[in-house]
Amino acid sequence: MTENAVIFKGTKEGLFVILKEEMDLDTIKSNLGKKIKPSKRFFEGAKIVNFKGKNLTQEEFDELKEVMEQEYGMTVIGSNNDRNFDIKDVHYGRKQSEIIEQLPSENVHTGEALIIRATIRSGQLIQYDGDVIVIGDVNPGAHIKATGSVIIMGNVRGIIQAGANGDYSAFIVAHKMQPAQLRIGDIITRSPDRLGDMDNPEIAMVNQGMIVVEPYLKK
Amino acid sequence: MGEVIVVTSGKGGVGKTTTAANMGTGLALKGKSVVLVDADIGLRNLDVVMGLENRIVYDLVDVVEGVCRLRQALIKDKRYPNLYLLPAAQTKDKNAVNPEQMQKLTGDLTEEFDYVILDCPAGIEQGFKNAIAGANKAIVVTTPEVSAVRDADRIIGLLESSGLRNPMLIINRIKMEMVKRGDMMNIDDMIDILAIDLLGVVPDDDLIVVSTNKGEPVIALEQSLAGQAYRNIVRRLTGEDVPFMNLQSEDGFFAKVAKLFGLNKKR
Repeated sequence: MTENAVIFKGTKEGLFVILKEEMDLDTIKSNLGKKIKPSKRFFEGAKIVNFKGKNLTQEEFDELKEVMEQEYGMTVIGSNNDRNFDIKDVHYGRKQSEIIEQLPSENVHTGEALIIRATIRSGQLIQYDGDVIVIGDVNPGAHIKATGSVIIMGNVRGIIQAGANGDYSAFIVAHKMQPAQLRIGDIITRSPDRLGDMDNPEIAMVNQGMIVVEPYLKK
Repeated sequence: MGEVIVVTSGKGGVGKTTTAANMGTGLALKGKSVVLVDADIGLRNLDVVMGLENRIVYDLVDVVEGVCRLRQALIKDKRYPNLYLLPAAQTKDKNAVNPEQMQKLTGDLTEEFDYVILDCPAGIEQGFKNAIAGANKAIVVTTPEVSAVRDADRIIGLLESSGLRNPMLIINRIKMEMVKRGDMMNIDDMIDILAIDLLGVVPDDDLIVVSTNKGEPVIALEQSLAGQAYRNIVRRLTGEDVPFMNLQSEDGFFAKVAKLFGLNKKR
């Protein structure tokens, strides 16, 4: 499992090398070699903004920098002291709130979302404090439990629970809704025993104390 | 270094042992050196299916516990010189070995064999964990039943979370007449749910029962449809691109294959 001790990540500022925390320097160096050597030409001349992740001592930093520059012909721009800014830290600031103001507020929802690109299989339980987005299917026997809303870009055959903390405004959206059960807040519905074949994407919401499933694209 | 393939399913009775025996025999027929490992400790079957039951002296647990050397426990097949069997112990249970020991064992075997095929026990407990510990490739066997597909799905999830990515699927014991009538799950539905690559489809075949009881894998029988399916699976495993048998044809799959071999339907 030493495969991913090193990750190259391109950002607006340039290329970063992310080092896994728990890896020692030798593993990192051999991993760098493994990653770079097959496509040495691609990396040659590249400018690395800095290393990220694992905390390095000055000696370790210098050693890595030397390896990158001498062996692979890359340039490391940053120094060990200014490694502390966060890559993911992109702030939209005022822009985002502007958009929200233009829209009817009840149709806008902000918050943390978990995005999964995989098939959720029987026996797998996804629990998340926030919204869940699945790009893939949710198979029979699988269970998704979110305190927020759940969006499935695929076929739902398992159990989906939205608003697990009792939030009735949560909803469930799926490309193809064939769930065993849907739960929103403490309301539980199950699919009718004879399920019509719906090819349209549908949304499940709470309406007057019941979960109502309907197509959300009006045709 | 050889490849370690685990044959698993979750549900029992879907044909893991039969599949393992036939794949092993098929690979051996292609000239590969193969060892079949029965990981179903306490409920061993592979030796019976291979017709080697009366030759067992030492078993997997003896090897792991150091009672004998690995070489001593390997049973050479009576028909194919480059096929070996490492039988399971019958008097112990799944807890007699642990995943680290299995990893070491399969590691040792890969040094001598092109293919190590592990016959996994049913279930998802210790025995399953042992069997997948040393594997670097997984084959999931299912039958066209909702319960078997559900278990296969669970197994695929467990395989993926333990690092065995991209398992391959074998659909076993399919009856095309029933599928055609809409009484049995069809292949597309199963692939749709399981979302993994299909390695092969094995039709239901009475000859399997006969060959299992005789201890002669069906893959060696020219006239068997299941045998043909297993031969195709083995060819795909060794990297050949073999088209799937046309199961949906108007002519009827059985008639077509029978025609292919110049046989009539009755045989």
